[in-house]
Amino acid sequence: MFRNTTKYVALATIGLGAVLPLTQVHAADTKRQNIVFWHSMTGQNAQAIDRVVNDYNASQTKYKVIPEFQGQYVEALPKFLSVGGTSKAPDLFQSNEISTKQLSTSGMIEPMQTLIKKYNFSTKNLRKNILNYYTINGKLYSMPFNSSAPVLYYNKDAFKDAGIADLPTSPTYEQVTDAAKKLKEKSGRAKLSILPYGWTFEELLANQNQTLVNHGNGRKKTATKAIFDNKAGKNILNWIKTNADAGTLVDYGTGANAGDTELSAFTSNQIDMFMNSSASLGNIKKDAKFNVGVTYLPRPKNVKANGVVIGGASIWLSKGKSTKAQKGSFDFLKFATSAKEQAQWSIDTGYFAINNKSYDTKILKDAFKNTPILAAPVEQLKATKINAASAGALITSMPKERVNTQNAMENVINGKDVDSELSKAVKQTTADIKDANEQSGE
Amino acid sequence: MTKTQTAHQNLLALLLLLPSLIILGIFVFYPMIKTFYLSTQLTDLVGNPIKFIGLKNFANLIRSDSFITSFTITLIFVLFSTVLTLFISYIMAITASQKMKGIAIFRTMFSSTMGVSVTVASILWLFMFNPQIGLFSKILTILHLPQINWLSDPTWSLVAIIGTTVWMNLGFAFLVLLGAIQAIPQDLYQVADLDGASWWLRLRKITLPATRPTIFFVTVVTLINAFQTFGQVDILTSGGPDYHTNLLVYAIYQDAFVNHSVGRASAQSVILTLIIMLFTMIQFYVKNKREGRNAK
Repeated sequence: MFRNTTKYVALATIGLGAVLPLTQVHAADTKRQNIVFWHSMTGQNAQAIDRVVNDYNASQTKYKVIPEFQGQYVEALPKFLSVGGTSKAPDLFQSNEISTKQLSTSGMIEPMQTLIKKYNFSTKNLRKNILNYYTINGKLYSMPFNSSAPVLYYNKDAFKDAGIADLPTSPTYEQVTDAAKKLKEKSGRAKLSILPYGWTFEELLANQNQTLVNHGNGRKKTATKAIFDNKAGKNILNWIKTNADAGTLVDYGTGANAGDTELSAFTSNQIDMFMNSSASLGNIKKDAKFNVGVTYLPRPKNVKANGVVIGGASIWLSKGKSTKAQKGSFDFLKFATSAKEQAQWSIDTGYFAINNKSYDTKILKDAFKNTPILAAPVEQLKATKINAASAGALITSMPKERVNTQNAMENVINGKDVDSELSKAVKQTTADIKDANEQSGE
Repeated sequence: MTKTQTAHQNLLALLLLLPSLIILGIFVFYPMIKTFYLSTQLTDLVGNPIKFIGLKNFANLIRSDSFITSFTITLIFVLFSTVLTLFISYIMAITASQKMKGIAIFRTMFSSTMGVSVTVASILWLFMFNPQIGLFSKILTILHLPQINWLSDPTWSLVAIIGTTVWMNLGFAFLVLLGAIQAIPQDLYQVADLDGASWWLRLRKITLPATRPTIFFVTVVTLINAFQTFGQVDILTSGGPDYHTNLLVYAIYQDAFVNHSVGRASAQSVILTLIIMLFTMIQFYVKNKREGRNAK
């Protein structure tokens, strides 16, 4: 009997000893505040964002960020809008730049500015012209995270073969057309691609210091009409027309994969010049078997380059979350925008490092030394003048504006008249702005 | 049968119907009624109705160039893709119904497009339509013909979408039609042979009439599928150039989920529903008339 009791006590002690650490671990886990983070990163970028999150979760024990992929930007936005303001909404939500107006007026988000003060977050090291996009009436609405801008890529080897000098830092339309003509003479084929894509049009317009819509690109107050029916707009379409007429332009159309087709055409020597996001640099660097040239977005000869509008996405905070969750969200944002994390993020993905201090880190310095072409996009961003045009347009009907300008570009390639196509696009964009303003009660 | 018994039976019937009624109610009738409701509303950017605007959404659609283009090209697309699918798959089915060695290999090949998903098929055709390295561009070069911008020319892009769609439809249509042709009793042909009927006469007098119900079935299915085409458009052209391949279902998706105009999207859905309903009614009317005539 006594012997048995000892046995039971021993067993019970061992059992308890085994269970106790488990419960402790469990307790520690429930004590951690979960921060749900919706994002739209795929492929290489998805791995990079998971790395940022894992690094953060390992760096502290108070909060746990849970990343959830919610489809492309265009798919994730309606999902967020349908749960925004409820308990099902994520704490943090990544969305692309053109949803800025819509999210800022949705009433489902907490502007960054109010919490920056509360939690003593400093934006002083973050790049001014990137913050500029997400700032409305002096208030920062969302935290920049993955930012990019367009650049002109060209094949230096093909240029050499055709006896063309490398393009200057800020090339003109005329220089690009001239090179395209020489490339065609040499190879007998069209070697330039200007993708009919609204974003490209917006960027080419901003580079001429022209706003897309009125009221300071919709940043002073809600825009009421499109105003690109001018010299700048015509310059862009005429440039496209010149190249289409000369047979130097390849047209990959408007399909969802047209951008990918264009990119692989460049790395496989089918085309020698095209414009794309600086975020594609990583892929191009990896796939191209020739010397890649990267330079600023082109401009008309008699116009000074104004610079580019920032693209990519930022991170939004949901409204109505607990103080603890907000604190955790902010802690994560602080980590994600830190110099070290942004440097690694930039190397992994090709997006800009949005923290100025990142450029002093060893890893980024080494990367720039090893691949000098990484510098051009950053230099272009530094040279960008801070004004309404380079801040980018702030309208809800941005997706429609992109289709309208895309149609104008495509129609001009197909031989339609520049003036009438431009005024058609402007009229339609104005009508779309009016519709959207009516919908949002403005 | 007493009154209570009938009542009991009705109750039982209702009870047995209940599961499907609930499912249909939630997934078919409720969304349908809601769509009708939303088509009369001005909706905010999230999709919630703000105010009743009657038929204004419809009026705006009729006045909009992009909708008229979408509407017209949808009708052209449906007509051509259905007729071509039917015509080509019927020829394939007749060819493959021949009894000879190795025909099974051809039957498998002809029906193989059934196993290809929309995305895979579209990507495949995207390569073939490539303006520089695509198959069609190479063929045109060999034949010394001028190059065609398959996916960015307003006319050719619709041809490209129709071609892709027909190719994808072929497998299913072929298989169904082949089954119907093989089910025709052989003695009919033997009798025709005795009479010395030509191949053309046998086709017209035996094969076609015997497979008429199947042709009808394939037409209805292909037609309704054609109205609902989405994937090919998204991958090949995204509705461009200048809305010339912006089929109605794609336009509805764009308006609802990209442009955040749920009211406008609902109005287009209602119009699409009415068109499909009309087409289906015409088809059944023609079928009934024909069957009535045959019965006499």
